[in-house]
Amino acid sequence: MIENSFNRRDFLKVLGWGGATVALSGCGNTSVEDGREYVTSYVETADYIIPSIGTYFNSTCAQCDAGCGIMGRVREGRVLKLEGNPDSPINSGKMCGLGQAGVQAHYNPDRVREPLLRNGDKGEAITWEKALQLVSEKVASANPGSVAFLTGGVSGHVKVLLKNYLDAIGSDRHYVYEAVAPSVVRAANKKAYGVEMPRLRLDRAKVVVSFGADFLGTWVSPVHFSRQYAKFRKGVNGERGVLVQVESKMTITGANADRWLAIRPGTEGILALGLVNALSAAGLTVPAEVAAAVKDYTLDRVSNDTGVSVEHIGKLTALLKDRSPSLVIAGGAAEGYAHGSQNAAAVALLNQVLGNVGKTVEAPASMPFPQMAPITGNRSSLQALNDSIAQDGVKVLFNCGANPIYSAPASMNMKESLKKVPFKVAFAHYMDETAMEADLVLPLNSSMEDWGTVVPEYFAEGAQLNIQQPLMEKLHPGTLGMGDVLLALLKQRRPAEYNGYEDYYAYLKNAMVAIKGALGGENEDDDVFWDSVLSQGVVKLTSSSNALVSSASAAGLQLPPPAAEDGTYPLRLIPAVTPNMRDGRHANEPWLQESPDPLTTIVWDSWVEMHPKTAAKLGVVEGDIVEVASKNGAIKGQVYVYSGIHPDVISVPLGYGHEAMGRYSKGVGANAFKILDPVFDQQTGELAMYETRVKVTKAGKRVIVVKDEGPAGGNQSGRRIALRMASGKVNLAEEV
Amino acid sequence: MYRFLRLSVLLVGLIAAVGSVAVHAAQPLTTADDLGPVVDQPIEFPHDRHAGDAAKGGMQINCMYCHTYARRSNVAGIPPLQKCIGCHRSIESVRETPRIKKLFEYWEAKKPVPWKKVHDLPDFVRFNHERHIQRFVFAQEKPVQEACGYCHGDVKTMTVARRQKPLSMGWCVSCHQKDHPVSATSTKTTHGPNDCWQCHK
Amino acid sequence: MSITNLLQNWSDFRQQHPSDERPHQEYKWAMSIDLDLCTGCNACSVACYAENNLPAVGKEKFSHGHSHHWLRIERYWHNEDREYADQGAQFLPMMCQQCEAAPCETVCPVGATNHTADGLNSQVYNRCVGSRYCNANCPYKARYFNWYDYPTTADVWPAPMEQQLNPDVTVRGKGVMEKCTFCVQRLTVAKSNARTEGRSVHDGEVQTACQQACPTGAISFGNLIDPESRVAKQWEKQQVKLNHDKQAKDAVHDGDKLRGYRILENLRTYPSVMYLEQLREGAI
Repeated sequence: MIENSFNRRDFLKVLGWGGATVALSGCGNTSVEDGREYVTSYVETADYIIPSIGTYFNSTCAQCDAGCGIMGRVREGRVLKLEGNPDSPINSGKMCGLGQAGVQAHYNPDRVREPLLRNGDKGEAITWEKALQLVSEKVASANPGSVAFLTGGVSGHVKVLLKNYLDAIGSDRHYVYEAVAPSVVRAANKKAYGVEMPRLRLDRAKVVVSFGADFLGTWVSPVHFSRQYAKFRKGVNGERGVLVQVESKMTITGANADRWLAIRPGTEGILALGLVNALSAAGLTVPAEVAAAVKDYTLDRVSNDTGVSVEHIGKLTALLKDRSPSLVIAGGAAEGYAHGSQNAAAVALLNQVLGNVGKTVEAPASMPFPQMAPITGNRSSLQALNDSIAQDGVKVLFNCGANPIYSAPASMNMKESLKKVPFKVAFAHYMDETAMEADLVLPLNSSMEDWGTVVPEYFAEGAQLNIQQPLMEKLHPGTLGMGDVLLALLKQRRPAEYNGYEDYYAYLKNAMVAIKGALGGENEDDDVFWDSVLSQGVVKLTSSSNALVSSASAAGLQLPPPAAEDGTYPLRLIPAVTPNMRDGRHANEPWLQESPDPLTTIVWDSWVEMHPKTAAKLGVVEGDIVEVASKNGAIKGQVYVYSGIHPDVISVPLGYGHEAMGRYSKGVGANAFKILDPVFDQQTGELAMYETRVKVTKAGKRVIVVKDEGPAGGNQSGRRIALRMASGKVNLAEEV
Repeated sequence: MYRFLRLSVLLVGLIAAVGSVAVHAAQPLTTADDLGPVVDQPIEFPHDRHAGDAAKGGMQINCMYCHTYARRSNVAGIPPLQKCIGCHRSIESVRETPRIKKLFEYWEAKKPVPWKKVHDLPDFVRFNHERHIQRFVFAQEKPVQEACGYCHGDVKTMTVARRQKPLSMGWCVSCHQKDHPVSATSTKTTHGPNDCWQCHK
Repeated sequence: MSITNLLQNWSDFRQQHPSDERPHQEYKWAMSIDLDLCTGCNACSVACYAENNLPAVGKEKFSHGHSHHWLRIERYWHNEDREYADQGAQFLPMMCQQCEAAPCETVCPVGATNHTADGLNSQVYNRCVGSRYCNANCPYKARYFNWYDYPTTADVWPAPMEQQLNPDVTVRGKGVMEKCTFCVQRLTVAKSNARTEGRSVHDGEVQTACQQACPTGAISFGNLIDPESRVAKQWEKQQVKLNHDKQAKDAVHDGDKLRGYRILENLRTYPSVMYLEQLREGAI
């Protein structure tokens, strides 16, 4: 340290002057680079393509099944960025981060680029012609009943073609498997309301009580619900909507709640019935049989069972009674138990008692073209396939959009099981775990390169048909769309019917034009109609609504008492669905790996979340490596401690721990799917995701958790950075 | 020792400052010419034949007939091949000449001609043709060839284009610092932006 | 650029702060972020990566603090000693606040960061020499340094991922600072289009990438000078004045009814981003 009157300020002053003038004199130099680069020029182009000005084309996002409309900004023949399509009622021009990463799925360096045929441990590139020839041979030589398709959720014209192909080969075996689909809630809704997914009007509710439904993050249609949430918070006449989230592990929706109630895992139904009882006691008119059925759910008992304080139950009761209409939603937390259907039924009953049916729980629009309506499925579908394979009932298996070797619990032994299938074809974007075991891998177009129609699982308003059109030429000449492949296969089976279509585009255009009357284009010229459909990206369909029934009843509701603790496996594992990773299919998109988890801010790795009490009991601190072991396997992870989780529970995010797929996903984190216990919802047979019991032990050296929150861990240290005030002090109606 | 250090730092600063002034004096920032290198193109396109004066055998085609995007985009643009073919498919007299034959080869193969970029500014610079054309051609009503010529020189005397001006920041800034009338009829004057982010990306 | 010119500019730098005597002409870009609507979903952050050619640096570099999220979501807890985080979290999107009296502008040794006529804090990559003084001075730590040459670093933009890069935004090499630009590339296009039509940019005609993505519409962006713009109306309603370091409404004891504030306003940076306080219901 220089010690005298010469100080740093003088030094910098001088240096600054010298530096600045030297830099400025660089004005005279030039870094013009004549003749070294090529100019982009076209051979023939449409008038509206102007170099350096982006053209926007509408399409549909395929990153999850919400079916948001997107616009791709295309410059010089490449799609650069995606925005929301303002004309789509689902997302109204907005997009989530997962959707933005669609371009990374498209430009991903690890995409499969050509058909690969297994030769020992390797995949040899073959032509599509040979590949399809092989497929036809294998299918022809197998008993039709032994040919099966395993897909993720499908809808639109690909669904139609798939069914037609299965018909053509004489098989009806289509299994649909989505690892994180809300199947139990759907079944419960069907019983309670007559429809699998009623239309939820958050924007009309004054209070929303969500039993673990992460509608802002991952549940059903997050962007759409976020749009509604914005209106909900602004409220009617400035009366801001109140959100209460009840769950054992905080989701992003929980992080935005006015009150987050940590609940003992599995007791959501008890709380719901307790609220019915409390509402009845508070004077709300409740049908006699319901009141009788819930009379044992007293405040004390409910509080004892659930861990939610009497005070909060009281306040929640008052809130629900005073502010109507409200909306109660059952989500992943409620449904994840062996009695998940019962939990969901109890929540539906609460909605009914509150009079919300018809106000904030509405009939959804029906799809006027049911053959294109989306089908979904969950683990029970996969189990049925597995059972059949065990009995040698599957000789040829096609897989498209499902990765069961990765996402099925280890207890299902998918890898071993699939080895029994003599010929497996995987339609894939990546060489993921299931594709690695296939005999033939057929590379798919990305959603940015494909034609298609998509019917969203959740209609925002009326029924709609989303259009998918290529946003640029195919990146890799060796990929094909699923529609193209099915059409090629169908041409071999039913040439008379399908040979007239040059490709899937021709088929799709023809099929759409054929129903143009129902799509609002009866008087339009075919080509004009088609162009306008592509230009809009979303076609609104006229449809009717099935009536909603209000048949939730207390009869037959059998809620078990809170589960006893298992001595050997004292904690419960919550495998969390995070907005970035979901079921792991996008783990190879680096923006998503680098996007911090909203609750823990952790990046590029998975973690084991626990409450400070739990950590104290286990003698661990943040960064300790622990082993999380269930009866069915064990994984390791870094500890993260925070108070957004119930002490009886630990949570590990899903979507990590890939063993194949690509450079950004392989070996990153641990796969929580594997260790899930084979416990099932008693009514639907679906995997009860929250029933896994684990023990946690220290297993390795402490690491520094790589996260975004900094050493203060979310503490503002007294500075006024993120401010919060009581809602009563503000009149939102006066705001702009 | 510290006094030495202080003195030397001050001296370095002084020399640098003086030096920059000297450099500044030696290189006046004007619209002076600075010939770029000859850039070979796949087809030696004769601007003189197309844009040149009739007296010299040219067809006096407006710059923006081909470089049509100049008035509405950042880039003036190289025309799509269909523009060349649009005329040349009907010009029998030159149909079999070597350059035109080559042109049609590209057309038959549906391949764009791989033109080399002559006026290639660095990637961190944003240059907007539209604003300049809107100002000089449409507002000030200068003839197109004159306006384009401010920066590209007298292209109608060239075959393939060759850079005529330095295209350096100082050269751009020297013009941006000069006042000019807002339009052909106005007495109001303005000058180009000196805002860093107008031109730097 | 003469010595007198330099001295004048330097003196301007040091004395510059927004004042009524030198109002912005035509455009002053500003933002307003409603913290009660922000759900912390990170869509804005990912959209920014897509629009501005941000490199995903990977785990190791992230752990060194070398991440490049120009727009980051800060997540705060306010639990005191309660057993649970039972009022949720506070999410704060933080990006360059485009301060009118930016502490970063005065300390750049080479003058790579300046103030534009439309009220943005500009960063010129080719002038930057990488002293990193600007981020040291930034109270919001909203500036990011390219510690590595990401275009040539393996797995940052492996083919064909480089085709996604936005040609309107420089791809930065090693040794330069970068930060949120309020999507200046979009603003320039919008202003140019408007100028060709002989008008100013309308409200809503140009959106920043983060604003366009945000599912709840928490981000409001526009021209503070245009009285019809949403952002101007919000600032007006919240009684937050751009060129005051202490707002009149804060002096009033009962001034609880307004949610608008600026972060670290007392440091006299005069930021161009106003936040609306998050709310929590008292009845539950």
